[in-house]
Formats: sequence, C-alpha cells, structure tokens
Amino acid sequence: MENLKEILTEYTEKIDAVISERELAEVKATLFGKSGAITELMKNLKNVPPEQKPQVGKQINDLRVALNTLCDGKEKDLHRLAIERSINEEAIDLSIDGNFKRIGTLHPVNQIKNKLVDYFVGNGYIAYDSPEIETDYYNFQALNIPLDHPARDMQDTFFVSDGILLRSQTSSGQIRLMEKHKPPLKMICPGRVFRADDDSTHSPVFHQMEGLVIDKNVTLCDLKGTLEGFAKFIFGTQTEIRFRPSYFPFTEPSVEVDVSCFNCHGKGCRVCKNTGWIEILGAGMVNRRVLENCGIDPDEYRGFAFGMGLDRITMILCAINDIKLLWENDVRFLKQFD
Amino acid sequence: MKLPISWLKEYVDIGDITPKQLSDKLLSIGFEVEEIISPREDITGVVAGKVTSIERHENSDKLWICQIDVGGKTVQIVTGAQNVKFGDCVPVATVGANLPNGKKISEAKLRGVDSYGMLCSGGELCVDDDVIDGASVDGILILPKDTTAGDDIMRVLGIDDTVLDVSITANRPDCQAVVNLAREISVLLNKPFKMPKLTYKTHGDTEMPTVTIADKSLCSYYLGRSIRNVKIEKSPKWMRDRLRMCGIRPINNLVDITNYVLLEIGQPLHAFDRKCIDGGITVRKGKTGEKITALDGKVYGVDNVLIIADDKKPLAIAGIMGGEYTSIFDDTETVFLEAARFERSNIRRTSRNIGLRSDSSARYEKGVDWLSVSLGSDRALALIDELGCGEIMNSIVSDGTTVPAEKVIRTSKEQICALLGIDIDKKTIVSILKKQGFGVKSEGKALVCTVPLVREDVDDYPDLAEDVMRFYGYDKIVSTHNENTHQTFGGKSTHDKNIDTLKDTLRACGVSEILNYSFISPDAADKLLLNADDALRNEIQIKNPLSRDISVMRTQLVSSMLASVSRNVLRKNDAMSFFELGKAFIAEKLPLDTLPSERDILCIGLCNDGDFYTVKSIVERAVGKFCAYALTPVTAAYLHPKQALHLSGDGVYGDFGKVHPLVCENFDLPNNVFVAQLDVTDMLNKPIAPSKFKPISKLHPVDRDLAVLVKKSTAVGDMLKAVEAMDESIAEVKLFDIYEGAQIPEGYKSVAFSVKIQPQTVTLSDDVIKNLMDGIITMLSNDFGGRLR
Repeated sequence: MENLKEILTEYTEKIDAVISERELAEVKATLFGKSGAITELMKNLKNVPPEQKPQVGKQINDLRVALNTLCDGKEKDLHRLAIERSINEEAIDLSIDGNFKRIGTLHPVNQIKNKLVDYFVGNGYIAYDSPEIETDYYNFQALNIPLDHPARDMQDTFFVSDGILLRSQTSSGQIRLMEKHKPPLKMICPGRVFRADDDSTHSPVFHQMEGLVIDKNVTLCDLKGTLEGFAKFIFGTQTEIRFRPSYFPFTEPSVEVDVSCFNCHGKGCRVCKNTGWIEILGAGMVNRRVLENCGIDPDEYRGFAFGMGLDRITMILCAINDIKLLWENDVRFLKQFD
Repeated sequence: MKLPISWLKEYVDIGDITPKQLSDKLLSIGFEVEEIISPREDITGVVAGKVTSIERHENSDKLWICQIDVGGKTVQIVTGAQNVKFGDCVPVATVGANLPNGKKISEAKLRGVDSYGMLCSGGELCVDDDVIDGASVDGILILPKDTTAGDDIMRVLGIDDTVLDVSITANRPDCQAVVNLAREISVLLNKPFKMPKLTYKTHGDTEMPTVTIADKSLCSYYLGRSIRNVKIEKSPKWMRDRLRMCGIRPINNLVDITNYVLLEIGQPLHAFDRKCIDGGITVRKGKTGEKITALDGKVYGVDNVLIIADDKKPLAIAGIMGGEYTSIFDDTETVFLEAARFERSNIRRTSRNIGLRSDSSARYEKGVDWLSVSLGSDRALALIDELGCGEIMNSIVSDGTTVPAEKVIRTSKEQICALLGIDIDKKTIVSILKKQGFGVKSEGKALVCTVPLVREDVDDYPDLAEDVMRFYGYDKIVSTHNENTHQTFGGKSTHDKNIDTLKDTLRACGVSEILNYSFISPDAADKLLLNADDALRNEIQIKNPLSRDISVMRTQLVSSMLASVSRNVLRKNDAMSFFELGKAFIAEKLPLDTLPSERDILCIGLCNDGDFYTVKSIVERAVGKFCAYALTPVTAAYLHPKQALHLSGDGVYGDFGKVHPLVCENFDLPNNVFVAQLDVTDMLNKPIAPSKFKPISKLHPVDRDLAVLVKKSTAVGDMLKAVEAMDESIAEVKLFDIYEGAQIPEGYKSVAFSVKIQPQTVTLSDDVIKNLMDGIITMLSNDFGGRLR
C-alpha cells in the first residue's frame, strides 16, 4: 500500500497549492469523482485478498477522511479569504456625516423649567397650573396689595377689563391653591407672566416659578435651607446663598436672595458685575393676611413663598446675553440647545 | 431717593465711612443703593484765586498779565479774557490741572511772557448759572467776593458732594425723607441721631382763613400758618445745590423751602398768596363744572376731585398741584402755608384719572404719616426764619381728626424666634426695636410694642421680626431642612406629564419647540384670511398695550408661528420644523366679565422640511400616542383647499395641511409651508393607559401582492384601510406604488400593495388564502370600482 502514502503526499501538496474554490472543486473531483483516486482505490478493493480487506479498507478510509478534512479546511480558508476581500471592497469614507434627521430641541427656558420642576417635585412639591388671565383679586388683593396701593407700582400691569388683567406674577397661584387645598402644602407654580415693560433687559412676556410651603412649624431658616439646596442643585455644590431684607406685600419678613457667582465663586467677574453675587429670586414668610384671605388660620399655620424668573436663570445658566433671543425663535439659536 | 452725603451728615455723624461702605451696609438693612453719584473726576488742580495785579501785555492789545494769589503763593497767568478786574476771585487751573474737555494745563510762553496756568470760564468747568451766578457769561467765571483763595473749585462751586441714589421699598415711605433715612443709618452705625432745627420766632397774631375738611377720610389733617412781609428772592446756594442734587430745580426762597422740607421731612407743603384767598378754606370734592388752571398752565376739570377751595373758587388740586393764580409771585406780601395729610389711594387714583403728577402727589401716593404734617410745617417755618424770608405769625389754623393712637403689638421673644427659626435673646430684641423708636414693655413673657406713627407699615409681629433681623443680621439665619414639617407627596399632574410625552414625541419627529408672545396684532386675523364672522376674531383686547402689534390676546397660534417661520426665512434659515404648545384665550363674551377659557393649543409649522404627508405623520404620531381619531377633509381659511384635513379625537380637534398660497404671501413665506393647529386641552387631561400586549403568533405569515386599477380620484388610504378591515388575519397592508401613465387608461391609476396575512392559531390552507384574496378583490371592485391588473 505504498501508493496510499504517495497519494496522501501528492494531494496534500495539491490541496495546499489551491488558491480558488474552483481549483479546489477540481482537486476534489480528481479525488472523489467517478474516476477519482479514492474512488479507484475503493473499486480496487474487490481485488484485495479477503484476509487483507479489512486492513486495506481501513487504510483507504483513513486516507479518504484525511483528504476530506484537508479539503474542508481549505474550503473554510478560501471562504474566509473571499469574505476578507469583499470586506476590503466595502471600505467607506468614515469622515462623512450621516444625514439622519436631527431630534427636535426643547426651548431652553422649558429645559431649565423642567430641571427646576423635577428638583422640587422630587422634594415633595406638586406642580400647579394657574390661569394667565387673572382677576385683580388673585393677582393683587388676596396677596395683600389693595386697590390703589403703592406696591402696585412695583409692576406695570396689562389690563383687560374691569378687574381682569394679565397676571403680573405667578404668586396668584398661591391663592388659588390655598383656596382649594388645606395644609400641609408644598407647591410650585411655573408659568408665563406679563408686564408692560419692553427694553433691552425686559420682555413683556416672561416666565416665573412660584414656590409655596405651608405647614405648622415652618421657619425662615427652612426657607434658607430649601433655597440653598435648590441653588446648589442648579449652580453647583459650592454655591452659597445670601439673604437681604426686601419688601413684597405678600411676605413678611421678605428677602431678596443672592447666590454666590458660579463663574468666579465670589471673586468678582462680568457675570456678577463684580459683586460676587447674583440676584436670582425674592422670597419670604407668607404674610398673615394672605393666609387669612385663603381661610387658613395664621396662628396655626405658617409658610414661606419664593418666586424666581425662569428666563433670567436660563440666561445665566446658558450664557445667553440678550433676552430678545428667547423670543426670536431663530433656528441657529434653537439648535444650540439639543 | 437721592441722598446727598453732606445732608445726611447734618443729622448723623457717619465718621469716615466711605460711600461704598455705607452702600454695602445699607443693603444689609434693606436699602439698595442703585448708584453712587460721585463728584466729577475730570476736574483736578483747579482752585479759587484772587487777582492781585493785572496789566496789559506789551506785545498784544488782547492779552493781560495777571498775578494771582492761589492761597499762599502767587502765580503769573497770561489771559485773553476781557472781563477780569483787579480783586476778582476766579477759577484757576494751575500747572498740571485737568479740565473736563480733556485739556491738561502746562507752563506756556505767550508772546514772550511766561504763563503758569489758565483762568477758567463756567463752560470750561461744565457749570452754568443754575450752579453759580455768572457761570453762563462769555468770559471768565467771576466767583463771589468772599471766596477764599486756594480753595478747591469743586467745593467753591458746591459740586463736591457725593449723592447716594437709594431705592426705597414701598413699605417704607417714611424713608423717602432725609431725616428718617438718617435715623436708620444712625441705628445701623450706632451713632447718635440729631433732629433738624424746628424752632422759630413769631410776630404776633393775624387774621386767618377758617379751615374746614368736608371728608376726613380723604384728608385727616390740614394745618395753615401765615408768614407776613415775605421777601421773595433767590434761596442760598447751599439750598439750591442740594435741591439740584436731588433733581429739583430751584425757583425762589419760599418755593425752595417747601421742596427742601419735602425732601428732608417727607412732608409736601404748599404756599398760597394770602390775598388770593377769599373767605374760608374748605377741603372738599369739586362740583360739576368746576375747573382750575394749575401751576403747569393747564386747565383741569375738578368734578368730584378733592380740592382746596375758598368761598369762591378752587385754589389747588389737593396734594397734587396748586392753582396758577393763587401761587407765590414776586409781589406776594403774605403767604398762607399749607401742610396736610391727604389719603394716599385717593391721591393716586386722582392723579391717574386727571393725568397729572407732581413731586407732591408722588410723595402722598406712598403715604405721609399724621405727625409729619406739623413737623414739616415747623421745619419750613424754622427755615423761613433762619433765611429771613418773612415774619412768622403766631396764629395757627387747622382741622382734622385727633392724633391717631399708636398701634400696639403684643408678641413675645418665643413667637418672633419661632418664625425666624433661630434663637435671639430677649434683651437684643428689645434693644434693636427701641433704637428704631419702638416702645417696648415686658409683661411676663410678652413683649408689648408700641409702633411710632411714622412706621405705618408695621402691623403685626412678623414686621417686628423683620425689623429685628435687619439690624441683627440676615447672615445669622442658618439653613434647616423643614425637619418639623409634614411629609407631602409631590408630583406632576397628568396634564404636565402628558405635555412632556407630547413634546418628546414631537422632538423625536425632528420638530423643535418655539415660544411666541401670548398677544398678537389685531391684523393677524386678516392675514390668515379668516371670515368676518370667524370666532377666532373675538380677541380679548389689552387696555394698555405697548404697541398695536401686541395688543390682543391670541385666539390661535398659527399667525405667530408663521411670523416666526417668516423671520427665519428672511434671515436665510431656509428649512425648519417648529412646534409651540401654548395657551389661546377664548372669550365667551366681550368685553370680558368673567375669566376666559384658556385652551392648550398645539401648533406645528414646517417650512421646506417635508410635505403634506410629513405634517400628517407628525400629527398622527403626536395624537396617536393619546387616543384614536378620525380624519376628514376640511375647508379652513388659512389652509390650501386641496391639502387640508380635520382631525377629531377624544379631547382633541383641529386642522392641518398646506398653508394657503395667499396666506404665504401675506407672511412673506415660500409656497411650501405646512401647519397644524390642534386644541389638545382635554386630551392632555386624560392619563395615557399603558399599552396592552397582544399575543405574537408562532405561525409564518403569508405575503400577497396586488395591483389594482382605480379611478384617479380614489382615496387610496381609505381603500387600503378597507382592505385591512376585511379580515382579522390581515396584519398589514403596505402601499408600494401608485402609477399613472403608459399602459394605464386616462383617468385611472394603478395601485400596488402587499397584504401580510398572519394566521393566529392554525396554518391557513391555500384555499383559505385564495378565498381571502378573492374577497378582497370583490370588495375593491364593489366599493372602489377597482379591477385587478
């Protein structure tokens, strides 16, 4: 059976030299085809003496299996090479941008509003909606600003008809909430407000967010803690806040609240006009008359309230330098906020 | 309010604190200094000088050589001015001096003679006759004879004062007066406070007009005094300087004194010429037809307006302005000086109604307390006496209520501290309150506080807590975290959550949010081609709009959407997809007598960014998230008649489509804009139900394609929906071609689509599938006139 070894050697070389699937098919045909080498050996087996048949048969089969394995291995190699060639042909210019449609953007004021609302909602506040066209009662009188009171000069109000106006502050939401719900209460009321003021730093429509907490043992220190937590959330953990005495008819005591400048951390810069502080909101302990107006006993309950301008906070956080940009809806502006 | 530092210093010794430091401290007690108005910094090195010799220049017939004493030394200056004489006092810019026009003075030789400086005109120092007499003449400013040589010119001219512009909150009208602000500062700096001089000589009694107040709720106190033999002249320079610094034009000594007292004490005063008062004075409402010519020269009808009248005529509009013919003239001999307390809201209302404001009315509007009346009157008389403007008569005439009782507030240290959340000891509380003029008595645990009349803003214990904190320091308030409050359940409303969902869906469709004003132009309705009787024309008007463009509340969001798109197109931002979710205001009746309905409106606008089907898909995706809906053809004024649909679903309705070409022209838009406007108010109030799972079949689906010939006008969408509705096993019907042209008869189109049949429980036999397809073909033929190709 010398020739079996020769066949193995010969075909091992042949299979090894194959470089295409077609050649491999040809080699396979010369091995396993009708008159292939292996086929011929099998045919010749009948001429082998019976006592040698099992042994020879096994040797032929071993040869067949060995060559088959070689062919299969070669086939896999060739397939891999073919794929690798086609992969190379699929090379593309990776530097070109896809033309997938952009996701739309949310207006920056609403992005900041959502961020603030999420903070307070997470702290147990409900988000409350209140009308934009309001009665004089809810916008002023119930908030301890009687008719013809000088405090009305603090805001230039748009009037619609007798006793009806465009709300000049979201504080009206305080009254509507307290009329409907009994304490303990924690509420924020974001929304549009209107003032007859239109210049380089004022827009006649802008957004405020009112906050209100009513409970039995609320203190001015609780107000500070609340606003400090909020300021750190919005402006960063190093942020400090400062109370300054002020006046709002619906709170007493009233304070203006400054945050330490997030840009310079108090050293003084352009953002804080060199004061180290940025004024962001007004707040105070709810005036007893306001509670009384809503049917809440001021000897039993106390509360604090705060109000902030969302446009202003948005402008500070997003470094927007012109309030008019917020209302121009310029595509080049909007797409910066995705 | 303007506070000149020199004026402040008369009543409190502020030591060597700088204006900046004082401003920072004032901020801590609630007074924000908006501006520190410093003296001009562009004049330096200019002093008063006395001309000790003057002679002609040998080589010039225009120049003079002067020797000038500038305090301790004499300098030689050559001048071309012709109005300087020996002995005159003049402003001298010495060598090294700077002038406002940027000129820097150096030594010079004029025609061979050395000159060490320059004499200045009023113009060169930026002053005029209002500041000092002679400043406006053409030539050198000749200073008063008693000027001391060597004095800094800023001091000589009275322009060396620093003025603080202090913002006074509406609760502290008392601090609209120099003395009361000085009192606050004295507490702040812990320095003694001195009252202005209030004493004067009197010159016997005189006959006074009677005074009667008709309604003491409008005027609670009216006080009259007489001054005889008045000499009307210019007031002294220091007074004129201070008035000017506070923005009031000096007029004459008497008028200036009344204005000075207004600023200093906060009490408006009015001086009448006594001889113009016929009979008694009455404070009453004007009668029908009554008129007055006020000091501004205009005639005002005073029907039902509070006036000061004599027996024959109105003399003044109470608290607002005096009459032209009863005021002080140069020939006035006897003055009747009014000090009164008019009710603030009435003054405010009247001033607005008749359209007349004055320093006096501005002050009354904020509130003048009862005691200032006599305080103001006495201060004015003291100044009249001091300046020698006339003889003050002893007689006093008045009417009014009795002195109001001081408010008493019963509180305790515990109550105040509970509100604040910090512990302050009782002694500190009492001491801070007392320094501010509160009377404080301890009764056991209670503190009984008497509120001075000047503090009309204080009426409950939180006010006292605030006044304690202002001086105790708000920096002592610590942060606590509502440890003693109840747990509450926060959260967004369904409405707000749905808004988030809706906006997320729109953003995913590539649409960006915009914001527009809630008010629009009344012309918007015309630009949208709305019919004359369209309900959207019932816009709520703003009574006091800033301009016509923003004078009515929007009833629709389309016009501002189109304006926003147009603005972008004008700026060459060609393509955009926008949405706005905002309120529209629908009035039941105009003018409003109840609050209008505020509707949540979703408006979408696409420009060069898709076609009708794009806006349709976006609308369907946005609404489909919430509810089922139906679409029907619609005619809407601003939409293209052939490309518009109406959507109607549970809690949502509205129209969308291509913008009408004429509307595009009105808004300067390309004819490729699509809008949607949907009222989503009720839809947003319904919670979205969680999606329900339907079992997924394990069996293989079968796909069949069909091509049918239908009339061109056939609504393919409806047809495909009808196919889908044929059998529950039809999982999907997908359009892949609509073809008109070669091989298709005129007026017809070929519609090709695939049908995916999804068996649910048993594999469908070929017969069943064939039956199903035959059914579809029959239906298409019967209902849509379709025939198989």
